[in-house]
Amino acid sequence: MTDDARPDLRALTEELRERLATARLGGSQAARDKHTARGKLLVRDRVDRLLDPGSPFLEIAGLAAYGMYGAPGEEHAVPAAGVVAGIGRVSGRECVVVANDATVKGGTYYPVTVKKHLRAQTIALENNLPCLYLVDSGGAFLPMQEEVFPDREHFGRIFFHQAQMSSRGIPQVAAVMGSCTAGGAYVPAMSDESVIVRNQGTIFLGGPPLVKAATGEVVTAEELGGGEVHARTSGVVDHLAEDDAHALAILRGIAETFPSTPATPWEVRPVEEPAEDPETLYDVVPTDPRTPYDVREVIRRVVDGSRFSEFKQLYGETLVCAFAHVWGHPVGIIANNGVLFSESALKGAHFVELCNQRGIPLVFLQNISGFMVGREYENRGIARDGAKLVTAVACSVVPKLTVVIGGSFGAGNYGMAGRAYDPRFLWMWPNARISVMGGEQAASVLATVRRDNLEARGEEWPAEAEEAFKAPIREQYDEQGSAYYSTARLWDDGIIDPVDTRRVLGMALAATAHAPIPAPSYGVFRM
Amino acid sequence: MSHQPNPQSPRPIRTLLIANRGEIALRVMRTAARMGIHTVAIHTDLDLDAPHVHAADDATAVASYLDVDAVVAAAKAAGADAVHPGYGFLSERAALARALEAAGITLVGPSAEVMDAMGRKDAAREVALAAGVPVVPRGEPTDPTAYPVLVKAAAGGGGKGMRIVRDPADLEEARAAAAREARSAFGDDTLLVERYVERGRHLEVQVIGDAHGTVLHLGERDCSAQRRHQKVLEEAPAPRLDEETRARLRQAGVDLAAHVGYTGAGTVEFLLDEATGEFYFLEMNTRLQVEHPVTEAVTGLDLVELQLRVAEGEPLPLAQADVRFDGHAIEARVYAEDAFGGFLPQAGTATHVVWPDDLVRVDHALADGQVVSTAYDPMLGKVIAHGADREAARQLLVEALDHTAVTGLTTNAGFLRALVDSAEFRDAAVDTAWLDRHEVPRPDDAAARALAGIALQRALDEEPRGPWQPDGFRLGGVRGPLIEHGHDLSFHGWCAPPAGTAGLQRVGSFQHGDGWVLRGRHATEVVWHGQRFVLAEDDAAHRGAAVADGIVLAPMPGTVLEVSVAVGDEVAEGQALGMMEAMKMELTLRAPFAGTVASLDAVVGTQVPLGTPLFHVEPEGQEGAP
Repeated sequence: MTDDARPDLRALTEELRERLATARLGGSQAARDKHTARGKLLVRDRVDRLLDPGSPFLEIAGLAAYGMYGAPGEEHAVPAAGVVAGIGRVSGRECVVVANDATVKGGTYYPVTVKKHLRAQTIALENNLPCLYLVDSGGAFLPMQEEVFPDREHFGRIFFHQAQMSSRGIPQVAAVMGSCTAGGAYVPAMSDESVIVRNQGTIFLGGPPLVKAATGEVVTAEELGGGEVHARTSGVVDHLAEDDAHALAILRGIAETFPSTPATPWEVRPVEEPAEDPETLYDVVPTDPRTPYDVREVIRRVVDGSRFSEFKQLYGETLVCAFAHVWGHPVGIIANNGVLFSESALKGAHFVELCNQRGIPLVFLQNISGFMVGREYENRGIARDGAKLVTAVACSVVPKLTVVIGGSFGAGNYGMAGRAYDPRFLWMWPNARISVMGGEQAASVLATVRRDNLEARGEEWPAEAEEAFKAPIREQYDEQGSAYYSTARLWDDGIIDPVDTRRVLGMALAATAHAPIPAPSYGVFRM
Repeated sequence: MSHQPNPQSPRPIRTLLIANRGEIALRVMRTAARMGIHTVAIHTDLDLDAPHVHAADDATAVASYLDVDAVVAAAKAAGADAVHPGYGFLSERAALARALEAAGITLVGPSAEVMDAMGRKDAAREVALAAGVPVVPRGEPTDPTAYPVLVKAAAGGGGKGMRIVRDPADLEEARAAAAREARSAFGDDTLLVERYVERGRHLEVQVIGDAHGTVLHLGERDCSAQRRHQKVLEEAPAPRLDEETRARLRQAGVDLAAHVGYTGAGTVEFLLDEATGEFYFLEMNTRLQVEHPVTEAVTGLDLVELQLRVAEGEPLPLAQADVRFDGHAIEARVYAEDAFGGFLPQAGTATHVVWPDDLVRVDHALADGQVVSTAYDPMLGKVIAHGADREAARQLLVEALDHTAVTGLTTNAGFLRALVDSAEFRDAAVDTAWLDRHEVPRPDDAAARALAGIALQRALDEEPRGPWQPDGFRLGGVRGPLIEHGHDLSFHGWCAPPAGTAGLQRVGSFQHGDGWVLRGRHATEVVWHGQRFVLAEDDAAHRGAAVADGIVLAPMPGTVLEVSVAVGDEVAEGQALGMMEAMKMELTLRAPFAGTVASLDAVVGTQVPLGTPLFHVEPEGQEGAP
């Protein structure tokens, strides 16, 4: 792609909005019509009605499965991975909501559906948030059972999580608003309290076809595991609702009995708007990712009053470390302002320790091509300094929030709290790119290796042949490095409009504040 | 006209006991107070804190407003010179007139003899015939083509104890029901049967006579907008009436009153047959009417003052030629009833009350926080608009009803507003049975939702700022809808900032105009165009379950009047299981489906709260099922 053709951040955001809008529709028009004709609410209407009036909803992975099984709008597409997940307020409490979309493949669990469900539960677990399940799913997507059923992070993990959450006192409530078959039956069964909709919700380990195949017994779904059966006879559910709206009202009533929100682990100040309008972020970030710009321009458009106080401003200048407030919450911001050098890594490690010492959440603004390479740097032991940063980040006990605002390449990803470092949340901007290294670099490395091999055998490698070798590598990296490729696979929690960064960080900070901060395992080592 | 008690009068009134409650008691007290007369209220235990008790100079407890001896004793004890009975209750009881006469206390009303003569419809008819006033052909028809006929209580009024019979086969059942109602309401079950005019207009002439032989008319009123013989709207003068008929009608009223030597204010009611243009005498009401304010509006006279002057023995202070008519007035009766829910009477606490008394005359006795019980008449107040002509009055009344708001219980103000706003009422095409043949459309709740949304938005805007502030934030540049209590309250377009900080808020939008919103924890109440909307979680589901269970619940608080079945009886769908009486209305309780009476909790004579299970019907073929 030439620089001239590269869309600017505004155009990329517009594209993001369009893609989110398509995904929000859920299944095909026919599937949605069929769903509503049965008197059922569409999944997003259910979520909207569950939430408090005017409640924000911080959706998680709204573009999960994007392009993985079929192009958007195409028959095999699985919009949002067939499940809506996010954080919203219910009866005054921030709760994680996980709601199956029965208009997408009958709400069945594709591999990425499982991953998204587990991710939502992890958010609830890590942040001590109650979890509400709106169940309307046919269970595992059988043709892909080998990617859904057997492994550690597969279907069974959902119920493992439920038990773990319950043991930690995290409330979980399920409303069965449609099918809830096989393993799925454990979702309501393992919840603290459950609701079922009469003549609509069903819960059974084996559905009528399986029962017939296994024992020859012919039974209707309603007789096998309908609302009346489970509310009056089996006791699997605790509340019988007449319709979706009634079930949601019951859920809201149950949520009122949850323990109230604990005090925040840090002091929250009155909110102050940034002095620099966040809308101007689109103009601050250059269209060409290789054009350097001062990341402080981003920070100013994210933090309260556009004010921040820098730590070691004159040292390791390619990493900006600063204390600030976001929606009144204190944060320590670590933002890339160029390639990581030893000094930058040491400064970062020191700053992470400070924030742990003081109980201040960390916000990483990633735009990193990697650690500096070359003889001088290797000889001075940059790997050892990088390791200090990686260790400090990995063992940090304060909440970490990561936003990939540009590139996320190589070990820079590790030092800047990439997905593997368990940030509580990780988002990408639509211009963000993620891969082990850039496509051009990967193509060059592989081409060099190949050229060396060929030349060792005395063969020649014409320039055209080399270009033909490199093109598909560049293409592969280009495709797999895109934010959409990442978000489809839950490498992140979603792609966000850069202008929403401040709001999203604020919501997430408030969510992370539900969990207490353990004592740090290290003090402050002067680097 | 002097406004001081006239010591020159033969029987000056210095202390007046008002033997009534509600708006009429207040209305009488207003004039009495202006005339310098000391006022005494009576009240039951239930009414200890009622507005009329607070408005009076003195108050005395009585066991019942219908207890003649207690009222007379209270008047004596209070040293009252006179008793004003208002309307209803004892206002047309000759027994009160006699007892007061014996006690030497003046009744503000006609003599016991006149009440006797006019109070019974059969006797009144004879008087009318003698006075040369046309009457409705009477007698039980032998010819089936003479139907429909009207069966009614001879002693009655106000629609109680009335039945229309179109099929001779139904006559006996109608008689029985009418007799029962008449006995309960008037203690007298004498019935009349007469020709029923299908399309008629109810016209009535206001008369007033003094003890010196003068009888004047104060014009006529048209009260054709009725529902089941209960007046809904009343106006003066009568529209669409040629001047010759109008003159004859007024004269007929004067002739009748003069013939019996009528004193005080009275009303002679006529039925105008739309088909023939003929009018017939119906009955005479020997008291002040509910709808007297429309006459006061167009004549500028105070009817209560005239009543008191006449009762003092003074001559009427004006002659017929002095009675002037100015413009047009329309009155709307605001009742505690759900007009779009089967007109079921409503009871409860009127949490907030807004009357349009800055726009028009409002006679009412309902203030914020007052309890409306089923024990008394469900009328809450009257809204009376006076304009230069009928259309001006009608438009003013629509505006006034738009500014009438009661929360906590449902009133018929929305129904009245829709009716007054209708093309039929505009064209004066509403006959006395029109409302029984037509449904007034229920107002759409879109406006209510929008107004509730504006009030909700304001409440949300006032919440503390923070990342979780309730602004409907969503990723992807969209906003979430505004949903509360299961209702989508999203609104678009311009709105005025709501007025009032707590409790009832006045909310306006460009599309819908003004309304009132009361936000509660479990429901939002909106009053728009007079109609109350309760936006709460839909409980239709639960009601549905109750019907499916075959359990018949008391649809309103009241008394079980009749139990027609026994346990084990087989019943058809819709068969009457029993009857309840509440607010002087009889309600038949019916089987929801064919089946067997499984259990029975209804006991005749018991008072039951709303929702009490009374009968349990098991569907056919399910006996013994769990």
